[in-house]
Amino acid sequence: MTAPVRQRRPRQLSGRPGLYTSYAQQLRLLNTRPKLLTVSAIVLLAFVLPWLVADETLSLLGVAMAASIGAIGLNIVTGYAGQVSLGHAFFLAIGAYTASAVSGAPDDDTIGFGVTNVLVWLLAAGLVAAVFGVLVAPLATRLRGLYLAIVTLGLVFLGEHIFAEWQALTGGAGVGRPGPVPVLFGVELNSSGDVLTSDQKLYLLMLASLVVFGLLARNLARSKVGRAFAAIRDRDIAAEVIGVNLTRYKVIAFAVSSFYAGCAGALVYTITGFIEPSSFNLLLSVQYIAMVLIGGVATISGSIMGAFFITLLPALTRQLPTVAPFISEDASSPLNVFQVETVLYGLLIIGFLIFEPRGLYGIWIRIRNYWKAWPFSY
Amino acid sequence: MTRTIVTRVRDRAAATPDGIAMREKDYGIWQEVTWARYWDTVLTAGHALLALGIEPGDRVAIHSENRREWLYSDLATVAVRAMTVGLYPTNPAPEVAYLLSHSGTRILIAEDQEQVDKALEVIDELPDLEHIVYLEPRGIRRRYTNPKLLFWDDFLALGERHRAEHPGAVENRMAETEPGDVMTLIYTSGTTGPPKGAMLTVSNVEFCVKELVEAGGFTSPPPSEQDILLSYLPLCHVAERIFTTWFNAAAGVQVDFAESIATVQSNLAEIQPTILFGVPRIWEKVLASVNIKLASASPLKRLSARFWLRVADGIGDTMVRNGGSHTPGTRLRYALGWLFLYRALRDRIGMRKVRYAASGAAPIAPEVLKFFMGVGVPMHEVYGMTENTAIATGNLPGKVKLGTVGEPHPGIELRIDEETGEILTRHPGVFAGYWRNPEATSKAVDADGWLHTGDVGEWVDGTHVKIVDRMKDIIITAGGKNISPSEIENALKASEFIKEAIVLGDRRAYLTALIGIELDTVGDWAQRNKIPYTTYRDLAERDEVIELVQGIVDQVNARFAQVEAVKRFRMLPKELDHEDGELTATQKVKRAAMAERFHDLVESMYAKAGAA
Repeated sequence: MTAPVRQRRPRQLSGRPGLYTSYAQQLRLLNTRPKLLTVSAIVLLAFVLPWLVADETLSLLGVAMAASIGAIGLNIVTGYAGQVSLGHAFFLAIGAYTASAVSGAPDDDTIGFGVTNVLVWLLAAGLVAAVFGVLVAPLATRLRGLYLAIVTLGLVFLGEHIFAEWQALTGGAGVGRPGPVPVLFGVELNSSGDVLTSDQKLYLLMLASLVVFGLLARNLARSKVGRAFAAIRDRDIAAEVIGVNLTRYKVIAFAVSSFYAGCAGALVYTITGFIEPSSFNLLLSVQYIAMVLIGGVATISGSIMGAFFITLLPALTRQLPTVAPFISEDASSPLNVFQVETVLYGLLIIGFLIFEPRGLYGIWIRIRNYWKAWPFSY
Repeated sequence: MTRTIVTRVRDRAAATPDGIAMREKDYGIWQEVTWARYWDTVLTAGHALLALGIEPGDRVAIHSENRREWLYSDLATVAVRAMTVGLYPTNPAPEVAYLLSHSGTRILIAEDQEQVDKALEVIDELPDLEHIVYLEPRGIRRRYTNPKLLFWDDFLALGERHRAEHPGAVENRMAETEPGDVMTLIYTSGTTGPPKGAMLTVSNVEFCVKELVEAGGFTSPPPSEQDILLSYLPLCHVAERIFTTWFNAAAGVQVDFAESIATVQSNLAEIQPTILFGVPRIWEKVLASVNIKLASASPLKRLSARFWLRVADGIGDTMVRNGGSHTPGTRLRYALGWLFLYRALRDRIGMRKVRYAASGAAPIAPEVLKFFMGVGVPMHEVYGMTENTAIATGNLPGKVKLGTVGEPHPGIELRIDEETGEILTRHPGVFAGYWRNPEATSKAVDADGWLHTGDVGEWVDGTHVKIVDRMKDIIITAGGKNISPSEIENALKASEFIKEAIVLGDRRAYLTALIGIELDTVGDWAQRNKIPYTTYRDLAERDEVIELVQGIVDQVNARFAQVEAVKRFRMLPKELDHEDGELTATQKVKRAAMAERFHDLVESMYAKAGAA
């Protein structure tokens, strides 16, 4: 007689967050009740925000959210996989132009195919950018560190030249072309309707996209692929020894990263509504690097924090002349807000790298650990 | 059919097959074992023992840390009417030889290469030993060629085959079980002389289960399936056997095995048990670690903790006066402190959910118990010994008297001898005698069935029993005064800086002490005071440290009578160790061995014109 031995599904015991009875529990995204509640509260607040704040603020927040997607993308390749890329502006541009070309009016001055469905052009923007990412990736398998940074920098200059010259697509330097036309389920998102204004609709589109892209990235990071990235970042030779296929995972990292960048580019210029080819320069790449460094390397929430910080910073510096009259709003004066802004980027990056290398996320972790360790210090 | 621990597990497996019986951490995950799986494995292991020819009354020894296989082997052994002999994982090879040959063990379940090596080292002295079953194959399989070795998986496979060929063989053997069957030999630690194997019968254990588990003699209200406990003390000791194996089988308490004794504190924090038994050393260590960590916390945290610990001290005082219960005043103070300190502190030390904590197996300083009461851990001192299946006295919730070991359990006889002051017990839990040692048995149990515990005790308020000391440890000074050294030793050990204190002075003019420091805390203290040191000995013999200890000794002296004051002390130059023969397996000091080993130190304290 053999007693029937059944396997039961492991469950977690209440009030014992450290007692894991399965790996699934250990890997859960929202593994504690406080985390679940806070994240739900933040997402809920974000969804009711359109009815609480002014439209101008909404469009600014929308840009920050779209930029967050781009920052997450850069964090995947630079933060998680450790491949420094200065070419992010190039991939943003690819996404932005692909989306505008797909959705643009066919009878316009610039190329346009008239497919205005957001889902279609967003996917197209991501995929085309990803293809370019895959083309660049082989460089990363041969170069690393500073050399890779220089090579990806080259991409930005190549891009700047091409976009300035290819007038059929970009409208040419100083002229530009309209951004992507967003239509979702028959609703025109960039014009105000009876129920919602265009800013509210675009904000909600950005928020929904950010939630989806954020979750996907977070899942990627805790998967086999994410662990392979981390192994490569920490020591590529060691990673190879334990069986991580370097070429394959570097290609994946660049592909995913550029996919995110492409989507982010498309979304950002949906809100601004206009694309100027010269804006995809080194400064844009540096801004995204700043988002990652200030937010927190190899964290999704850090990327979002960094993107919000960098996007909202100009809005704050524009207020400077009211408190510090010696700073001018006129771009031609010796000390103007734009110069202050650039100086601030530099100072912030230096400051964070020296004092808080883990970024805003690191500050949060520090605060959390202080209370978590109560009444001890470690 | 006689009810045993094994039938209880069988019934539980039938009633709640999917309930959790135990957990053990493996690859970072607490792997769960259901009752059905537990029972199934016990049956297979039982068949394996039958296949290896185990007959009723044979001895099966287990030499392992606490783990699932300990319980499987133990129950399988009892199922086939054999006796379980537990060995301490720290037992060195000569002791392993003594225990295995004295018990006449036929099968040894050894945990890993370390334990297998000990047995193989002395295998020539063990003619009865037929098989060594090892649990961890690392370093053994395909390297060792001794034909007696058998891997646990192969052992179970053997059981599976036997089970297929002889279905029901284990159940048939179980049905023959009689109440008088000896189910385990528990070797007592033996501070003097070699260990003695106390025979506990099926009926002893059933009485123990009835008194301590079902009637809630240790934990009131009685334990249930909702309770969780951490198994970390050696299972060959009667106390941990009660809490792990018997609580589990009889009340369905979920048992979680600590990874090792070194990880107890982090395992406690993960598991957050509801019932927690500890020996004094564990409670002292937790208290010391709290103090160390608080000392190095940031100023704000330190300030807050210091304030609320003072409040806890007051709460503890009031609760001690109130039998361990809260008054409205302490409840209010506790509620406030809970927000600022107690909740977080209890969470960190893994006692957030403890509903009943017990200390036993050795005397403990009341201050230590009071600390835990104050921060909200319901602490109870209990008393018992192997020879009476640990049934003697216990403090019950609401009726706690600090400094006593509580009231006798209902339904047992306990008296204190008028002449000698020795505590005597008589009840069905009194053991069947020492294995192969009728002489010692007749000394322990008299003709009327009274067990002589060897502990001197006295009544407090006519209800509670206070233990004075072990009878043989009582010091009679040259002046003819009777002194209990353990009380002074515990007062010294209540300091976080002192790990060992041995008070001496039998037939001498005054008391002296050998003192061993707690390396962690004193090391931390030295670091904070910028005192450089290299080794344990160097640190122990630093002038600053001697000064620190002198301060503690002076404080303790102030609380005792003049004749009980420790006049001189010396620092132990090394940490005491089981393997060096200074401690027993349960970390009790072997006084005779100490006096001999540190003879010069002791004599120097009694030298006429010596500088103190």
